[in-house]
Amino acid sequence: MSVNVFVLFGMGAGVGFLSGMFGVGGGFLMTPLLIFYQIPPAVAVATEANQIVASSFSGALAHFRKGTVDLKLGTMLLIGGIAGSAIGVAVFSSLREAGQLDLIISILYVVFLGTIGSLMLVESLNAIRKARARGENDPAPPMPQQQNWISNLPFKMRFHRSQLYLSVIPVLLLGMLVGILASIMGVGGGFIMVPAMIYLLRVPTNVVIGTSLFQIMFVTMFTTVAQSATNQTVDIVLALILMVGGVIGAQFGAQMGQKLRGEQLRALLGLIVLAVCIRLGWDLIATPTELFSLGEKVAH
Amino acid sequence: MRIAFTLFWMAVLLASVRAEANIQIGLSNESVAITSNFDGADIAIFGSIEDGDPAVLDRKGYDIVVVLEGPPSDVVVRRKERKLGIWVNGEQQRFLEVPSSYSIATTRDLEKIADVKQLRSLKLGFENLKLVAPEGESAQDFDAVFVESLARLKVSQNLFLERVGGVDFLSPTLFRARLALPANVPIGHHRARAFLFREGQFVTTRSTLLNVQKTGFEQVTYNLAHRNGLLYGIIAVLVAIATGWLASVVFRKD
Repeated sequence: MSVNVFVLFGMGAGVGFLSGMFGVGGGFLMTPLLIFYQIPPAVAVATEANQIVASSFSGALAHFRKGTVDLKLGTMLLIGGIAGSAIGVAVFSSLREAGQLDLIISILYVVFLGTIGSLMLVESLNAIRKARARGENDPAPPMPQQQNWISNLPFKMRFHRSQLYLSVIPVLLLGMLVGILASIMGVGGGFIMVPAMIYLLRVPTNVVIGTSLFQIMFVTMFTTVAQSATNQTVDIVLALILMVGGVIGAQFGAQMGQKLRGEQLRALLGLIVLAVCIRLGWDLIATPTELFSLGEKVAH
Repeated sequence: MRIAFTLFWMAVLLASVRAEANIQIGLSNESVAITSNFDGADIAIFGSIEDGDPAVLDRKGYDIVVVLEGPPSDVVVRRKERKLGIWVNGEQQRFLEVPSSYSIATTRDLEKIADVKQLRSLKLGFENLKLVAPEGESAQDFDAVFVESLARLKVSQNLFLERVGGVDFLSPTLFRARLALPANVPIGHHRARAFLFREGQFVTTRSTLLNVQKTGFEQVTYNLAHRNGLLYGIIAVLVAIATGWLASVVFRKD
């Protein structure tokens, strides 16, 4: 595999810039970019999990110092996450064996990016319209206070930091879903976990980011080791280049992000996400120039 | 009379066997070290024709084919099909023990050196490779389109290379073959074989081994990734933690 170090560094810095600017992990942009750059999807996904360890570690550390991590909730999410990651790595192996891994990765990305990109764009455009109509930003809509189906589930547990008395079932399931996504898609899963924690679990917003980073950090650590041990698809050198580019880009992105308005930022990110989704979707439906492909397994 | 006749022909036969040419070959280097900036290399294989028929040598009637084969591996060739509007991998064919790389150099076009029947029995050329079927299948049932695609895909990855005229004679009996090792050359023992042809007829073959190894940092990471994926993964995580920690120290806000 012949790739250019500077291109990879630039990609890491570019995605790092966006993730710093928008306050997102960036795995869901980095993995497709690596695939566009002809890195085998299996390697892109597993290596990206390794990169996320670095970015989520420094993020989680900052939140840990500020005390904005609910360790008990994070641990429950983590238990689900490890189980999900183990399932994901096993599914990853069998899909790879069957020659369908690349396809499934692309389809998952098209579905997730398409959904999230559209939601973001619609929501931010609405917010921009409202802000214009009222002349200034209105406060975020109040959180719905009515009971939801989650409060009826059994096996309740008290989470002091989040001031919640909550069934562990949705917590474990959410952690598991994120773990599966981490291992099959090479994402942290913050884009699913954060909204789910806020709107479904009603976790106070000040601990949501820190707690999700805590979970993502350990799940991606587990995923990296599991992928490397089972599929040998982690590339340390590639990951290191992306990490260094990523942390540097993120610093500039964060400075830029403070100068722009929230809803404009979200609209922009929504457009970027949709563009990546369309490109991946196009590659699925366009007639390929080469219909045949090689899968290899070295005989020892 | 009859005995004398037989003896005469036996002597002729013996003489012709004795006079049959042979070849010797040697490699310019017996091992190749792959460093992190390895960008492909040329390897030279030297050889000489021994006991060549002077008349044939004069006519330049000897041809040489040199093949360098990478370690065998199992390969799956998959064909994409359109299903529900998207292209998915459909039919596939598995081949066992396919040379992971196949570099061939010849004095001239392979078809001019020998006929297809001989090339096929000697497994020379991309379309004549020995293909082993997985258990329960027969090599006779291979779909030609998959066999052709295997070679085409290997060529597109630079793993199958052909150099017509890649073997030249330095003297009437001394020859040199130049074979290319691509940047993505497979690691392991490669087998170099030289084939001697005399005016369209296969005469003899010789083989030798070439060891392709990674060295230094490349070797350490490669061996670790392939032999101890668990440890490699743990190191990958530690590298990530160190990078994340360093970033938080360098860019700390407070």
